Amino acid sequence: MLGEFLSYSFVQRGLLAGSLVAIICALLGVFLVLKRLSLIGDGLSHVCLTGVALGLLTQTSPLYMSLPVVLGASWGILHIMDKVKIYGDAAIGIVSAAGLALGILLTALAGGFNADLFGFLFGSILTVGKTEVVCCAGLLAALIVFFGFYYRDLLAASFDEAFARTRGIAVKRLNTVLILFTAVAVVLAFKVVGIFLISALIILPPVSALLLAKTFKQVLWVACLLAVVSVWLGIYLSFICNIPSGATIILINLVFFILAACIRYLGRVARIG
Amino acid sequence: MSPVIETNHLSFRYSKQPVLQDVSFAVQAGDYVGIIGPNGGGKTTLLKLILGLEKGQGEIRLFGEDLAQFSQWKKIGYLAQKSPVSQSRFPISVEEVVLMGLCYDGAHKEATTENLQAVHRALTKTHTADLAKHIFSNLSIGQQQRVLLARALVSEPQLLILDEPSAALDAGSREQFFTLLGELNQKQGVTILLITHDTGEVGKYISKFMYIDGELVFFGDKESFCHSAKVAEKLGSFAQHTIDYLHNHGHCPLGCHCESVVTHSTEKK
Repeated sequence: MLGEFLSYSFVQRGLLAGSLVAIICALLGVFLVLKRLSLIGDGLSHVCLTGVALGLLTQTSPLYMSLPVVLGASWGILHIMDKVKIYGDAAIGIVSAAGLALGILLTALAGGFNADLFGFLFGSILTVGKTEVVCCAGLLAALIVFFGFYYRDLLAASFDEAFARTRGIAVKRLNTVLILFTAVAVVLAFKVVGIFLISALIILPPVSALLLAKTFKQVLWVACLLAVVSVWLGIYLSFICNIPSGATIILINLVFFILAACIRYLGRVARIG
Repeated sequence: MSPVIETNHLSFRYSKQPVLQDVSFAVQAGDYVGIIGPNGGGKTTLLKLILGLEKGQGEIRLFGEDLAQFSQWKKIGYLAQKSPVSQSRFPISVEEVVLMGLCYDGAHKEATTENLQAVHRALTKTHTADLAKHIFSNLSIGQQQRVLLARALVSEPQLLILDEPSAALDAGSREQFFTLLGELNQKQGVTILLITHDTGEVGKYISKFMYIDGELVFFGDKESFCHSAKVAEKLGSFAQHTIDYLHNHGHCPLGCHCESVVTHSTEKK
């Protein structure tokens, strides 16, 4: 059964793209969760609907149409936070609501919901093409280079932003780059888990890893491992049970989170005992 | 020699509400300045302006260089009032937290033997060397504050900026803390700018006082502070504290053996 499953080229592509997206989301998610910006994935994924609807309306690739829209939205969130001086969650809420409303409006103009749109809303990992795999690999490579150069600065800025600024670290620039990476990741991830579930892939593996790991580097590794295992297991289960892959991946991550919370609780009880 | 900190006509407002107006002063190398004033008087805002964490109007110069151009952050150690992660689980060791103090100008960031030795020297100074491998967020607030002081000291700064650092410390730790700051100031010539409500305990080390209440009410040495009519007028509660202290101990809590504050305060009444 497993051999047959792995023999299909669309499955291989799905697993590869899924793993790459999972690692990207997990790495970004660790910093976003610790900086309390994790809902940015949720906000930007809602904006994706506008890009997808625009793509369906103009009959161009939803992927290419979503990229500038989501990048624009991420700039909007940063601009509202910085210039209008309101909290990050409120800025995310504003852009998210605007993106969703515009997306619904454009969807109606495009002739309403159809099978294509459902694929984007809830994920269709097995339709991932070679272009998406190459884009995911490119984004992961860029992210690793970025983290390689700025790991200590990112760590300091996530831990204590004010102190990082007094060390001359360009915190604002780091935040901007992190959010732009998230915007591109959200666009690439919507085929894997779907627009409505991307934020879970950004939040759940890092949160589970934070419960299990003892050092920051361990958190990064454990988050990546949990995310990749959830994608592989999710795709396999969706294949043999004929259920939606995106939702399965997220529910597996939820199970991991519950297990991590139990392990942590039992560990604490054992220490006290 | 240029002052360590120099401000000229510094002002700041939140929305339309003025917080600080026309603040000008110069802190010289080796000064130990205690900043006091009522809550909401602009003390923390002043420190944030000096560190470039807030932008106001007027001029700020650090070590003779305009703040906008200033890049020698190694020379400055900063300790905020509150620990950054008191409520959350941030999986980072005490050693790594202190190592962050060596992050400046894109250099000396990795855990090399040399850097770790500097980290352990700083931890030893703040009596937290035994906590080096502990997870920072698992420590008590007082222990966290001592570790953060080690982070401020690890780059061997020439200027320490501290925002009510003793608030979370117990009596014993507070005494150790102020003794350490006194030694750094007197033996190593480190310039210190410290917000405090604890004038009694820290008063014996401080060389100058700054009283901030939306404006610069007073800036000068301890003796002038105690003789200032303007200060006595503003410091009703402090004057009462001084009277009580004089009754109990027979000398001024700032260690300058004066009774002027009491006189001014009583005259006022």
